Amino acid sequence: MNRLANGLSAFSLLGRTALLASVFGTSLLAATSVSAQEIRVWSGYPEMAAFYEHVAEGMKDEYPDLKVSVEAIALREHEKRVALGITSGESAEVIELATTIAARYLEGGLLNTPPADVQDFVKDPANYTEFFANAASYDGTVFGVPLFRGQSALYYNTDMFAAAGLAEPPKTMADFDAYAEKLAQRDASGVPTVSGWSMRLSGGGSGIAEKFAINMWQHGDELLKPAGDGKWVSNFASDAGVATLKQYLHNLFETKVVTVEMPADADAFERGQTAMFIRESWVIGDIAAKAPDLKYATATLPRGSIVSTGQLYVKASGDKETAAWAFIKATQEPENLVWLLDNVGWLPNRTGDYSSVVATKPGFDAYVNLPAEYAFFTVPAIGPIDEIQTRSAAFLVEAYAKPELAGDDAAIKAFLETIDTEINSILEREGLLGQ
Amino acid sequence: MRIRKRWLFSLLAILPVLAIFTYVRIIPIGEILRLSLHKWDILSRNKPFIGFANFIELTRDRLFHEALINTAIIAFGVLIITVPLGIALAALIHHRVKSRFSSFYETSVFIPHVVSLVPAAMAWKWIFDARLGPLNAFLSMFGVQPQAWLFDPVLSIICIIVLCSWQALGYAVLIYLVGFKTLPESLYEAARLDGATGLQSFWFLSVPMLKPISLYVSVVTLVSAFNVYAQVYVLASDAQGAPGRQVRVMVLDMLENSFRNYRVGYAASEAVVLLLIVLILTYVQFSLLRDRRTK
Repeated sequence: MNRLANGLSAFSLLGRTALLASVFGTSLLAATSVSAQEIRVWSGYPEMAAFYEHVAEGMKDEYPDLKVSVEAIALREHEKRVALGITSGESAEVIELATTIAARYLEGGLLNTPPADVQDFVKDPANYTEFFANAASYDGTVFGVPLFRGQSALYYNTDMFAAAGLAEPPKTMADFDAYAEKLAQRDASGVPTVSGWSMRLSGGGSGIAEKFAINMWQHGDELLKPAGDGKWVSNFASDAGVATLKQYLHNLFETKVVTVEMPADADAFERGQTAMFIRESWVIGDIAAKAPDLKYATATLPRGSIVSTGQLYVKASGDKETAAWAFIKATQEPENLVWLLDNVGWLPNRTGDYSSVVATKPGFDAYVNLPAEYAFFTVPAIGPIDEIQTRSAAFLVEAYAKPELAGDDAAIKAFLETIDTEINSILEREGLLGQ
Repeated sequence: MRIRKRWLFSLLAILPVLAIFTYVRIIPIGEILRLSLHKWDILSRNKPFIGFANFIELTRDRLFHEALINTAIIAFGVLIITVPLGIALAALIHHRVKSRFSSFYETSVFIPHVVSLVPAAMAWKWIFDARLGPLNAFLSMFGVQPQAWLFDPVLSIICIIVLCSWQALGYAVLIYLVGFKTLPESLYEAARLDGATGLQSFWFLSVPMLKPISLYVSVVTLVSAFNVYAQVYVLASDAQGAPGRQVRVMVLDMLENSFRNYRVGYAASEAVVLLLIVLILTYVQFSLLRDRRTK
């Protein structure tokens, strides 16, 4: 964990490695020759399309015959097409994948091993910290090139905070409850019209469990606990798990500062329908595009944040493979990564000088200037992690519709034990269950 | 000799159709049966035979049970709404067949069936919206409190039943209309002479005589309702959590197991269960509704 924290702090070492990084980026790019080719890029984030197109545009002088077709769709659909595309041999040449998802494909030897110069580039500590190099590796071999990461921070509406007499962001999880109560706005009948704290309560997929994990981390623990020898144990019914679910239910059914049907997340924040919520850095770019007049600020979370990394991998052969790696190298050019942070908002993983963006967009401050004791966690890169999160999300949605659980610690614990039983059975099936 | 030639000709004529049917239907079903007996991970090279282990796991899988129950409720809900409403609407339209608006009636009932599913479901998502939806606005005129249609575990299933029935109704009406047009007018005239009212003619003549049509409509409606997926997906899908509760149905569960959890063998065992359920229900419907005279 410390290594990760140290690694991320390198992000704020502005300018120290910028010169070196630029030299590496340029020399790598120049080292490859690409003939007339068309390659496809698959991304699971629609907002990343502009970045990849920007990179392709920048390559035109050097590679006038290279055509890059970017296909960026919603993450869940992206994951499905990758599963189908890779196994049927019909995938794109450049594929963006999170470490947790890539693990399955790397286990099966389904993605290309990069050429030596790319491997050296990724392993070079001047370019990436050990954490990011490891995230792009499998069994000690580099397979991908780290691109961006998801890291969470609190977004809060400064106008609403001022109106509620709140001068600074919440510092503890207890503060979150008290603040949410003050910030919630209600109609004449007491029904909340603006949520005090937007929590992920509905929808499909693993996001619900991931958001629960972020809050649980603030309470001191993780969803899965390492049990040695690469084994894991489900940890929902821990004290931190109970405290987390209790907090959700308290806000839902006791103080009623949020309801499951209220508009949620970044969309709601941008429309002034929620006072605060926790999200990754892409929201800064999203707000700039959709709600430029919104008065808001960001803050670090009480204990620390999740970090989930995205890498670029190649599934191609011959000239297309060469072109794909050339494109990936181009994404790592410092000017492109600054463009990524400035225009899309995802945090680049390569060490570099991003001060110009942070200076103009103070929202990034909570992502790069971190308290010394700020702790990070990441979800385990094990094959069934997505299934585990999706299954636990189904349970959590059920809990969020049970007002009878609110305030009843014993009932909450019993409910969380049913999740542990389910998750442990998945771990056992996969030979990953520890003691 | 002549009969033999006829047989040969018939066989040759039907052979291409049989070949296509085998290729697109029989072989995939056989393949699903095979996959269901294997630990068939889409990304793994090792795909061992595991017998009925997938089916045994299904008996303990609470998400599968939830999906099965939800799907069954939706399918029977759609059936219960669509078949009676379909025959009633078809009767009304048929009754007004000489009206210059008859084609308008037919078209307006059939349009939902041909409208693309995604925009239609998006429109229904707006109708059901708890805050901005016209349904809650309409109900509030009668003093009814706004309902969280897409979030409440019961209401969200009702919403899907309504959406699926709205779509299935047009097809049912169309088929029933064809049925009505084949019924002999003389029987109705005789009934009228005997003093039967329109409702009595409908109940004692039309309904029994349309039994084969009802069998067809109910089988098609039930089978397609058991395969419900897109409606559920659109009503609950969004990148940012809202706007709806994810109602778990069988096809959704299969897709998740196949392409998110990569467990194709396990998903295939779910498909086998779905196939068996649909086959049994179809058999039951045939037994109940088949015209005995055709035996």
